[in-house]
Amino acid sequence: MYFNPYTDQDFLGFFGVFFSRLFLFVTGQLPFESLVSDEVQIMVLTCVAATGAMVGTFLILRRMIMLANALSHTILLGIVIAFLLCDSLTLPILMVAALITGIATTFLTEYLNRVIKLQEDASIGLIFSIFFAFGILLLTLFSRNVHIGTELIMGNVDALQRGDIKIVFSVFGINALLFLLLYYGFKITTFDPNLARAFGFSPLLFNYLLMVQTSAAAVGAFRAVGVLMVMAFFVLPPLTARLLTNRLPTLIGLSALIGAMASAVGVAISRNILTVWGVGLSTAGIVVIVLGIFYLCAILFRSIDFSVRARYYSLSKPSLKKDEKNCSIG
Amino acid sequence: MCLAAAMVGVLVFVRKRSLLGEALSHATYPGVTFAIILTGFFSLESALPFLILVGAFLSALAGFWIIDRLEKKIKVASDAALGAVLSLFFGIGVTIASCAQHSYAHLYRQMQTYLYGQAATMTDIHILIYGSLALAVLLFILLFYRHILALSFDPQFAHTNGSISRFLESVIFLIIVLSLVIGVRCVGVILMSAMLIAPAAAARQFTNRLSTLFLLAGFFGSLSAFLGLYGSFELSNRLGGHYSLPTGPAIVLVSGGIALFALFFAPRRGLVSRYVRKTKFRGVCVQENLLKVLWRLSQKEQNHIGFKEISQYLGYSSLYLRWLLHRLCRQQALIKWGKAYQLTPQGVKKGARIVRLHRLWEVYLVNSLGLKVERVHKSAEEMEHILTPELERKLTELLDNPRQDPHDQPIPTQDEALHVF
Repeated sequence: MYFNPYTDQDFLGFFGVFFSRLFLFVTGQLPFESLVSDEVQIMVLTCVAATGAMVGTFLILRRMIMLANALSHTILLGIVIAFLLCDSLTLPILMVAALITGIATTFLTEYLNRVIKLQEDASIGLIFSIFFAFGILLLTLFSRNVHIGTELIMGNVDALQRGDIKIVFSVFGINALLFLLLYYGFKITTFDPNLARAFGFSPLLFNYLLMVQTSAAAVGAFRAVGVLMVMAFFVLPPLTARLLTNRLPTLIGLSALIGAMASAVGVAISRNILTVWGVGLSTAGIVVIVLGIFYLCAILFRSIDFSVRARYYSLSKPSLKKDEKNCSIG
Repeated sequence: MCLAAAMVGVLVFVRKRSLLGEALSHATYPGVTFAIILTGFFSLESALPFLILVGAFLSALAGFWIIDRLEKKIKVASDAALGAVLSLFFGIGVTIASCAQHSYAHLYRQMQTYLYGQAATMTDIHILIYGSLALAVLLFILLFYRHILALSFDPQFAHTNGSISRFLESVIFLIIVLSLVIGVRCVGVILMSAMLIAPAAAARQFTNRLSTLFLLAGFFGSLSAFLGLYGSFELSNRLGGHYSLPTGPAIVLVSGGIALFALFFAPRRGLVSRYVRKTKFRGVCVQENLLKVLWRLSQKEQNHIGFKEISQYLGYSSLYLRWLLHRLCRQQALIKWGKAYQLTPQGVKKGARIVRLHRLWEVYLVNSLGLKVERVHKSAEEMEHILTPELERKLTELLDNPRQDPHDQPIPTQDEALHVF
């Protein structure tokens, strides 16, 4: 074991150390190789969260969350098959796997829904459970060990290596670039598909593109948080941000920020629990819980805001009524 | 056990909320893990199955409550609400599980079985508990079948019928959760939703009646449970113990396979049968078009019709046309004289009937619906294959047995046209 500056730090001290070391890293005084596991975790989770937030915003606005959920399950099959065929999990292979499973899932679900006329929720459920069962079956058959499978599903933040930063960062970069380039297209196909069609943007094409991006994000994240908890990174930050803003750019930015914050706080809490009680908890799980708490806070904030506004309205209502009366008399 | 799940699946399926099961089954996980930890701390090994049930039940309830709240109070879209609860609860469950990962290894392993399900390790007490629960679900469905029927297809009507619907609504929900909790032990948290969806989807392909739907879904559910269990057991034996097939995924695969098979090959709603029906109808259309051409030709220039003349009117390849003609010959509507063809009296009548239907429909469109004369041909071209004898009679009555169509061509009389049906 090499030296870890975060051992025996309390919650606030953690951030003190983190930010001073981050400053050193950004200014180039701290080489890449000397990043310790906590920093790796934070960086990976932040990237995952930011990617998830971007993708998730559009998923929520397009009501495609359950399809994304299906995707996060089917991606397991993609990863397993990719692993069996190529015996390694490098970035290009993973991306190809993500691409294929993303398209296959979306296509099959659409096929069941349109051609065979199964209702939408059932077709989603059917496809992903078959894929997932098949994935698990393959996994247990060939690895002879459910443990790897568990790690795939639940994620293991502690097993992250420095190389993973590059993977998640490139996934984040690709996704961010796509959204920047095609921002207008995404926006218009999300809010007004008919107008988009008139302008020559195919909503279907963007649907598929979004699903591919989702699966890329899920693949980037599976090592850290597992294929199931990715969903939390997709759903919770945009939902939280949605309570606080009505504008799309703010929504994306805010949800990415919330996701990043939650991952940093989650890692810190996990470390803190480890030092205080000596219990190693699943960091990914904690991050998800932190996300949930953030959401709860946003809800509370909103309801307070609402109650204030409601009081304001109730004060101003009588005068309104008076006006109406005057009008009717006049 | 899967029987109960499948039956409940029907309930969810007809209400188009299949994915609720998915979210709730994930939501049971924290309850399961918490219950296992509790028993680990207080060494209540004997009460374990019971505690797990209670834990799973409570956490699923909490999950449902949150989903409901999110949808109604904060107006979150239902899929987003489901996704949020699903992932949040699963995260909590994983955190609790990881708590035990290092300190209580055997408890952790037990939690893992609930992820994928382990039917093979079940003991007598499990059978007792789950069996009775499944029976309760069954009894409930039997007793309240009528109310369920009303509630599922016409909620407004059910609500006007009084307070029982509200009570029933909550009981149905309880039943859903209960069956999830039962099934989780068997196929696991993640794949439980498949057990709800797949049998119901398969059964839907075969029937339109709710009662049959329940029965069939139950049958498919138990069949896939049996086959999956047996298959995984047998295969594991065959493979010599090196590999052990997990039962949960096996069951799900079997039921998914049944569902897919049903989707494709079910007699009335399946894809293949629909395709066959379509092709058959198209064949009938083609044959009738050919008869029409033959009839018109035979009216024009008497008996013998050359192959070339026929092919002028129809855009089919000559091989296909020859095959069609051959088929007509075998139906004794056509006789082949050397290189020329002649319609038999029966063939003439068949052709006349189609032309009659065509022209009748044109008259109807022009006289009764006021369409322009030059636009009615296309519609008649399609309707001539669809009109039934009964419709034909009605049309004749309505139009006062017309002699000529809007294009001033004679309509063959009823005597000239044979009623095929």
